Amino acid sequence: MLIYIGLEAQNFFTWLNLKLILNQSLPVVVVCLGLSIVVMAGGDDVVSGGIDLSIPATAVLCAGVAAQWLAGEGSLAVAVILALVAASCVGAINALLVAWVGVTPLLATLSMFVAVVGVNDVVTASRRINVADPFILWLRDGHMAGVPVGIPIVGIIAYCFYHLVHRTRFGLNMQAVGGSRDAAEISGLKVVRLQAASFVLASLTGFIASVFVLARGSGSSPGVENNLLLEMVLATFLGAAFSGRRVVTLWGAALGAILVAAISIGFKSMGVNVFWTGLIKGSLILIVVAFAALAQRESR
Amino acid sequence: MSETATLLLAGSARIKAIFLRYGFLLVFAGFFVFFAAWNPVFLQSGNQMNIVEGSAILLIVTLGMTLIVATGGIDLSVGIALDFGAAFAVVAMKSYGADWWSAMAIGIAGGSLVGILNAALVVGLRISPFMATLGTFFIGSSVQRVFTDGGGPISHRRLPDEFRNLAMGDLGGIPTEVVIAVVLCAVYFLVLERSIHGRRIHAMGMQRSASIMAGIRVNRMLIASYVAAAMTCAVGGLIALASIRMFTPLSGFSYLLDAIAAVFIGAALHPRGRPNVPGSIAGVLFLGMVTNGLNLMGIDFNTKDALSGIILVSALALAVAQRKMR
Repeated sequence: MLIYIGLEAQNFFTWLNLKLILNQSLPVVVVCLGLSIVVMAGGDDVVSGGIDLSIPATAVLCAGVAAQWLAGEGSLAVAVILALVAASCVGAINALLVAWVGVTPLLATLSMFVAVVGVNDVVTASRRINVADPFILWLRDGHMAGVPVGIPIVGIIAYCFYHLVHRTRFGLNMQAVGGSRDAAEISGLKVVRLQAASFVLASLTGFIASVFVLARGSGSSPGVENNLLLEMVLATFLGAAFSGRRVVTLWGAALGAILVAAISIGFKSMGVNVFWTGLIKGSLILIVVAFAALAQRESR
Repeated sequence: MSETATLLLAGSARIKAIFLRYGFLLVFAGFFVFFAAWNPVFLQSGNQMNIVEGSAILLIVTLGMTLIVATGGIDLSVGIALDFGAAFAVVAMKSYGADWWSAMAIGIAGGSLVGILNAALVVGLRISPFMATLGTFFIGSSVQRVFTDGGGPISHRRLPDEFRNLAMGDLGGIPTEVVIAVVLCAVYFLVLERSIHGRRIHAMGMQRSASIMAGIRVNRMLIASYVAAAMTCAVGGLIALASIRMFTPLSGFSYLLDAIAAVFIGAALHPRGRPNVPGSIAGVLFLGMVTNGLNLMGIDFNTKDALSGIILVSALALAVAQRKMR
């Protein structure tokens, strides 16, 4: 598929285009990391297992809060702290709802998505707010050895999360909870606490993504969350197809996010009507997921 | 002194027991009283009818969603089925001059295409319902955009009167869409909660492998459920079309989140946490009441969105907590 686009659209495989794709996909990559953590800690059944749909809303809320503060001539440090507080509130409420009250994650985070977007509309009064803070601009335009600064930063963040999930006791325990909740409970893990932690981590990725949302759009604008939500879900579950056991993984999700951005940009540079991209993305999910399902049946 | 203390204690234990049993109903009643105290208009029978009338389409969509959730899946493409129902009907009437009843049939058939696609993906290719219907959602939205050349509405001012009556007329003083919604509720209730098919659907939703072993034709039931749910949503689309006299692409999406919320509020009210028709109806009416009440309070719409979202989260948390404590 990518090769076809590469042949059809000139300049697709150029360095510049690659940078563009990576730069565009940064917020999605970050939220995908968060979603993968929740899915790993909650089991990968989409309806009853772990899922956090509120991450994009968290990102947008953080962006809105920070932008509003910066627009009022506030300092960047305070804006960051305010956004972090907002993100932790969302994470804490998610954790409370899912881990302690026992609401299905899909449902809890979906309704949180609605509530958080609503709160964001109050904060920003549904207006676009421009941000011209030097740090945000640097994140947008700065280069490091010819590479936009955002790319290595997200790379480092992704590695940190990878280390946390795969190389620490905490991360492995969390994966054990997702693998088999009962077994984890019997072996004495604090299941409730670990699942709660996964939601807090996810909201943290929402906070990190908000910085890139601000940088990409040079400010906060309403309505970003819907697109981010669809791309996040698409990329994360598409990423599952890259792993050997067809499970959601951090690298798979990140790769999926880049792939989704590559496809969108590829089709745009081919001059395909934008109206068709939804159709193509939809078919793509179905093809990948169908192949995964078929492969699973074969191996049984 | 100690007697009053014991009395108080006994009283609070009793209050707790009452709260646990009727918690959600108490909240429902609490909101009702609150809105009524804030604005007496809320209580007027005209306004009560407004709530029911305004909830009719959501109620119809929620019925379809209840059925799919009962089979153990979820349907993210209900909005697409609704849009397709409206689109097929309006094109049939506008471009081909179809009369009102054949336009309705064509609309419902159009909606069923969405259900057939879902069924093919879920049953034929064994894709999980969430991913399959998400894919259908993407494809369906894109098809509408391509078809309408970017999402412009198709309006049809000269709808046949009979068709227009779907939303504007009344049967014996009750608005037609309410009558349709009530009839559909009754049908869904009888099929899902009171018939052998309903038992089988619930069995399939709870323990799929066990129900296969028990000889239930799972695939056939799933196909029928997806198609029936899509057709039900298409009926909602016909009513929407009749009331605004135009088809707006992608308008069905707004019902998706509310429908899911209503089904799960309903499931939380059920003793064993199953999605069920009466619970879904209660969920829809609760959402409708909150929207209406907040509108009457006359607060700015941004605040209103935030408040209804927060109320939704709290209501869900409460409903689930209540079930767990019993």
